[in-house]
Amino acid sequence: MHIMEGFLPWQWCLLWWIVALPFVIMGIFKLRSLVQKNREYLPLLGVCGAFIFILSALKLPSVTGSCSHPTGTGLSTVCFGVFITSVIGGVVLLFQSLLLAHGGLSTLGANMVSMAIGGPIAGYAIYRLLKDTSVNIYLTVFLVTVVADLVTYVITSFELALAYPAQVGGVVTSFTAFFLIFAVTQIPLAIVEGCVLALVFKYIVQMKPEILEKLDVFSHDQIEKARTILVQQPSREVQS
Amino acid sequence: MIQNRRLEIITLVAALAFIAIFLVVSSGGTHEFSGSDDVGSQKIAELTGQPVESYQPLIPQYEPPSGEIEATLFALQAAFGGIVLGLVFGYWIGQKKLPPAS
Repeated sequence: MHIMEGFLPWQWCLLWWIVALPFVIMGIFKLRSLVQKNREYLPLLGVCGAFIFILSALKLPSVTGSCSHPTGTGLSTVCFGVFITSVIGGVVLLFQSLLLAHGGLSTLGANMVSMAIGGPIAGYAIYRLLKDTSVNIYLTVFLVTVVADLVTYVITSFELALAYPAQVGGVVTSFTAFFLIFAVTQIPLAIVEGCVLALVFKYIVQMKPEILEKLDVFSHDQIEKARTILVQQPSREVQS
Repeated sequence: MIQNRRLEIITLVAALAFIAIFLVVSSGGTHEFSGSDDVGSQKIAELTGQPVESYQPLIPQYEPPSGEIEATLFALQAAFGGIVLGLVFGYWIGQKKLPPAS
């Protein structure tokens, strides 16, 4: 989803930087207060960050015959919200633009807005919508991840379309063109990513339910429900 | 037991389906499997009518001199994530085995 260095006029670079900075600054403050409040959050933060690092390093082939990478921001969005996710995502994007020439410093703002901010915001909206319903919590994590991933590419397409409207049809036409390149490639990746992060979330629920409760990621009842299903099912099979 | 591992099975099936799709796509026709970033850049060039080479970095940038070096750096990035992941899950598993601190 990176917009390559030099491929965005400087006015747009500036605009996206201005949009991105408040989120990152807010995120740094939130991160500090979170870690000061309770050191026990640090490992979970590590897991969420680790997945953004790992998944965004994997460039996977897809149906369109080109490669793209998952974003991995869903887990962090569910556990810590948008602001902290934008800091972690920003660090990954900075690393890739400094050392790998994937994206650049001038387009970092735009890339942060799509991967580290916009995608997580959309994912967070889904999470809030499903949080206190009877929807299975793993399904929620799956949906959040898929949406955060896909919306990242929708926003990238939008950023490029704004900067490069087609001569015929303007922004809409070029949006469609970019969207077809990025988003269609992304759909299968997003589904696999959603499954993987839901699975990871399951292991977190099994091992550290108390942290998730303290962060109020899901309610005590929902987490207990997910846990008891896991514990009870073998015995249910024996009975039947 | 199967019920208990439902999520693992779904993930496995999704991953296998993904590989199957890749095999089908790569066996038919000529696909370069280039990055969608580059495909996007080509599209920009197509829309503006200027060649890709005419887009110079606004801020000078380090570029990995070869694909090998790039692969190393990406592997490092993933390895770093993997180390943290293993560390944390190991730490949690260890915590669970200890009796609760008195």
